[in-house]
Amino acid sequence: MKRTYSRLLKTAIVLAALLLLWQLACASGRWSTYVLPTPGKVWKSFWKMTQTGVLAEHILVSMGRVLTGFVIAFALAFVLAVAASVKEGFEEYYGTVLEFMRNVPPLSLIALLILWFGIGETSKIIIIVLASFFPMFLNIRKGLSACDRKLLEVGQAYGFSRMRSFFRIVLPYAAPDILVGMRIGLGYSWRAIIGAEMIAAGSGLGYLILDAQQMSRSDKVIAGIFVIGIVGVLCDKAFSFLMKKVTRGGVEDSWS
Amino acid sequence: MTKTYRVADSEKRVLCGMDLDLDAGGITVILGRSGCGKTTFLRIVAGLESYDSGTVRLDGDIRTGIVFQEPRLMPWLNVRKNILFGLRKTQVDEAHFAELIRMTGLEGYEKARPSQLSGGMQQRVALARALAYRASYLLMDEPFAALDYFTRQTMQQELLRIHRETSMGVLFVTHSIEEALILGDRIVILDQGRVAEIFEIRNQPYPRDLLSGDMIEIQRNIIKRIKGDSKL
Repeated sequence: MKRTYSRLLKTAIVLAALLLLWQLACASGRWSTYVLPTPGKVWKSFWKMTQTGVLAEHILVSMGRVLTGFVIAFALAFVLAVAASVKEGFEEYYGTVLEFMRNVPPLSLIALLILWFGIGETSKIIIIVLASFFPMFLNIRKGLSACDRKLLEVGQAYGFSRMRSFFRIVLPYAAPDILVGMRIGLGYSWRAIIGAEMIAAGSGLGYLILDAQQMSRSDKVIAGIFVIGIVGVLCDKAFSFLMKKVTRGGVEDSWS
Repeated sequence: MTKTYRVADSEKRVLCGMDLDLDAGGITVILGRSGCGKTTFLRIVAGLESYDSGTVRLDGDIRTGIVFQEPRLMPWLNVRKNILFGLRKTQVDEAHFAELIRMTGLEGYEKARPSQLSGGMQQRVALARALAYRASYLLMDEPFAALDYFTRQTMQQELLRIHRETSMGVLFVTHSIEEALILGDRIVILDQGRVAEIFEIRNQPYPRDLLSGDMIEIQRNIIKRIKGDSKL
């Protein structure tokens, strides 16, 4: 508990210093307020958006997209990783294709996605799925394939079927890696939101920023960036808190 | 009551022409230098290792439980869940569980995690796990080798007590002559995948005094036998 407070204090000190630096830079008059809006101006437009409820709506819309994409990506990653671990050699079928896809930035697909799926929700979700699938898939597969042979032998000695062995030994053994993959995947989903909402969105945090850019409202751009960052951090904190509850310290060493 | 196992494996030459009948109620100790095939033999009996030729015959009602050299507990489960690991939910017998906890001296540790226990305690949990499975024949692969001298002594006495209380058969692999003499009804000397000699010491009462005349004589013979092999 004491360490939490001390950490909070240290964070506050750095934030205050950055804010002061920002304020000083604005006061020096070297940059126009368009290039570098003052903290006060950013705060004002943030507050105005909060009051009118626009901000909350953007957050909810973006969060809905992020979570939908994340859940789909996790389901795909989990199924494929399990398939890869259950049947060695199965991966030879899709391994190269996956490796190819992993190296293609999702944003480069925007043009095609619009052509194929239009400018609706589907294209946006696909971008998020593509961005968060790989870190999850790779972590889950690593966790499932790294299972300790010695523990598997225990199951064998007690006459476990493959199915029982999977649920009672392989899966719990992989739990820390799966959770780390999910956490990274969630982060990637958030980062992909701007790209996803570049596709003719009418709402969402990515839209908020792009729209503000077109209107030359750099104060709104900065406010939007802050909100994305803060919501992302809160999501991550909520996720790790939930996982700690669920796993009860069984994997505490690999989870912070 | 006697049960018979036969194992022969000549392909890998880990075991070649090994042939042994095991007594289902007694403690059979397999003794030999490292690399003599004793662990391989035990793993074959446990069904963890395949073999090229020969047969393993288990009588129908035999159920083997195994204790490895390392505890091999599931780190994400507490002591209770580790002990009940081999069972399905419907097979859990609370009275038997309480009895096992008492027998292995784990009272009060049911909720602890393996990482919070010492090596000796972890090995007790592993033993309790094999017993919870209601094994009628216990396979032990140098289970106390990694423990310090005093813990090992305690565990050996516990094993003898549990054996007395449950009358289950034990196949015990070790490289320690002393341990073999403390535990065994029968000591099987293994060399180059073959049974070199069998010492029957059923008539020596427990607890055994290794410094008694008889025991020293047996010990001398065993050492002679193992040394003799090395000259070949």
